[in-house]
Amino acid sequence: MTVPAWYDTFTDAIAAGEPQCLACAACGDASLPPRQVCPACGSTELTAEPLSGRGTILSFTEISVTTPKFHGETPYTVVMSELDEGVVLSGQLREATAADVAIGEPVVLDTETRADGPALITFRPADAEATDTGDRDDA
Amino acid sequence: MPATIASGASTTYGDHAESSSRELFGEVALEALDSAGLTPTDLDAVYVGNFMGDLIEDQGHMGPLLADAIGAPETASVRFESACASGGATFRQAVLAIESGAADAVLAGGVELMSLADIEHVTDALANAADEMYENEQGLTFPGIYALMARRYMHEFDVSREDLAAVSVKNHANAVANPLAQFQRELTVEEVVESKPIATPLALYDACPVSDGASAVVVVSEAFAAARDLDPVASVLGTGQSSDALALHDRGSISRTPAAARAAQEAYREAGVTVNDVDVAEVHDCFTIAEVMALEALGAYDPGAGARGAVDGETAVDGSFPVNPSGGLLGKGHPVGATGIGQLVELTKQLRGVHPNQVTDAAVALAHNVGGSGASATVTILGGV
Repeated sequence: MTVPAWYDTFTDAIAAGEPQCLACAACGDASLPPRQVCPACGSTELTAEPLSGRGTILSFTEISVTTPKFHGETPYTVVMSELDEGVVLSGQLREATAADVAIGEPVVLDTETRADGPALITFRPADAEATDTGDRDDA
Repeated sequence: MPATIASGASTTYGDHAESSSRELFGEVALEALDSAGLTPTDLDAVYVGNFMGDLIEDQGHMGPLLADAIGAPETASVRFESACASGGATFRQAVLAIESGAADAVLAGGVELMSLADIEHVTDALANAADEMYENEQGLTFPGIYALMARRYMHEFDVSREDLAAVSVKNHANAVANPLAQFQRELTVEEVVESKPIATPLALYDACPVSDGASAVVVVSEAFAAARDLDPVASVLGTGQSSDALALHDRGSISRTPAAARAAQEAYREAGVTVNDVDVAEVHDCFTIAEVMALEALGAYDPGAGARGAVDGETAVDGSFPVNPSGGLLGKGHPVGATGIGQLVELTKQLRGVHPNQVTDAAVALAHNVGGSGASATVTILGGV
C-alpha cells in the first residue's frame, strides 16, 4: 500500500519521543492529524502541539480473526486510549495481554516498525499504579 | 409527490457462490417489476446498492452493468455506496427522486457477493468501511471495532455477555420460520457465549454471517401508481439519514450511535409519528451489541437499557416492540449492499399481513440501516396502503 506522508510524519514523531497532535486556537480541542478544520468548532486555526503520550484505556479487544496483513499474528490485543490532551486513538498492546489490562488503566504511546508497511501505533501499560478514571466527560 | 413501494423481491440470503451479481440482481429486479405489472422501460432510474464488488468480484461501475442486465441499458443508473448502509442509502435516493418530481418510477436494488473470498479477505474488504490508517493498519477489524463498543458499553452499563447473547438467540429463533434466512437453527445463550471468540468480548454467534444475496423494490409516485392502476405494497411515510466521523475514536461516545438517532428523528418528523407508533422494526444487528445500540438510537429504550428488549422478551415477535422478526442480519444474513433493501421487503410483508413471523395488526414499520461502526445511518418508516 501507499503510506500517506502525514502518517509517516505522525508516527516518526512518536518514535522520536516527541509525539504531536493538532490543537485548535479557537476552542482548544485536540485532534489527530491531518485535518484542515477543527472537528469541535469548525475553526481552521489548527497548530501542531506536543502530546504527552500518556493516556488511559477506554476499551480493548483481543482479535482472533484478522485480515491477510496480520495473518499468523493472532491473537493480538488492540486498545483504544484517551491521551491526557483529550485525543483518542487505537494501537496494539505490547508488554501485556488482554488478560492483564482493564478499562481505566494508564498506558503509554509508542510505535514499532513493520517490514511490510507503515509503522504500527502501540500502547504498553504505564509503570504508574492503575486508577479507574476511564469514564469520559463527554461520553 | 408522495412515494410508494409498488413491489419488492429478495433472493434467499446465504451461499450463492455459483452465481454473480448480475444474475442475483437480475432475478430480484425482474421479479419485482413483474409483480408490480411494470417493464424495465417504465423505469426512470436504476439505483444499485453495493459495497465490495470492486474488491470481491473486481467489478466497479455496477449501475450500468446491472441496468443492462435487467433490460434497461439506456436508463439512468447509479451505484450508491455507504458501506453496510448502501441499501438504505440507495432506497432513500430513490424516494428523494420520486418526491422531488424528477422521477415517477425507480428500481432500488442491492446486491453483494461475499462468499467467493476466504474469511481473511472478506474481513479485509469489510474493513474498508473503517479508517484505513488509524483503524485497519493498527490491526482493528470490523468485529474488533464493534468489540471496542461492546466492551465499553458493558463497562458503562453493567450489561453481561449473556444479555447481549439474548439478541442472537431471539433473531436466530425468528430466522427458522423465514425461508429467505441463511440460518435455520435455533441457538441457546450458552452456545452464543461459548462460540469461537472473534474479537473479545464478541464471539462467532454475536456476529452476522458472510452472505450472498440481492433484494429490490420498485419505488413509484402515488400519481404514477394511480395512473397505471398499480397495487402498491407500502407507502413511504418518512426517511432520514445522517453521518458521523468515520473513525470510532473521533466520536464523542463509543457506546452510542448518534447518526442513527439523528436519522430516526428526521424520519419520525417527516412521517409525523413517534417511536410509540412503530408496530414492527427491522434493525441493523450486524453484531448483538448493534441491535442494543439501535434500540437506544431509535428512542425505544434509554441508554443502557436496550439489552432488556431481548432479555425480557419485549422485542420478540409477540412482544411490545417486535424487532427483527425476519431473523435480522444475525439470523437472516447480511449481503451488505442488499441488506437495507431486504429489510424493506420484509416490512412490506408485515404491512400486508403475510410475513412468516407476522406481527399482529402491523400498520407502521421501521427499518434502521447502519454503515461502518455508525458513520452512516438511514431510517425508513413505511405504512400500509
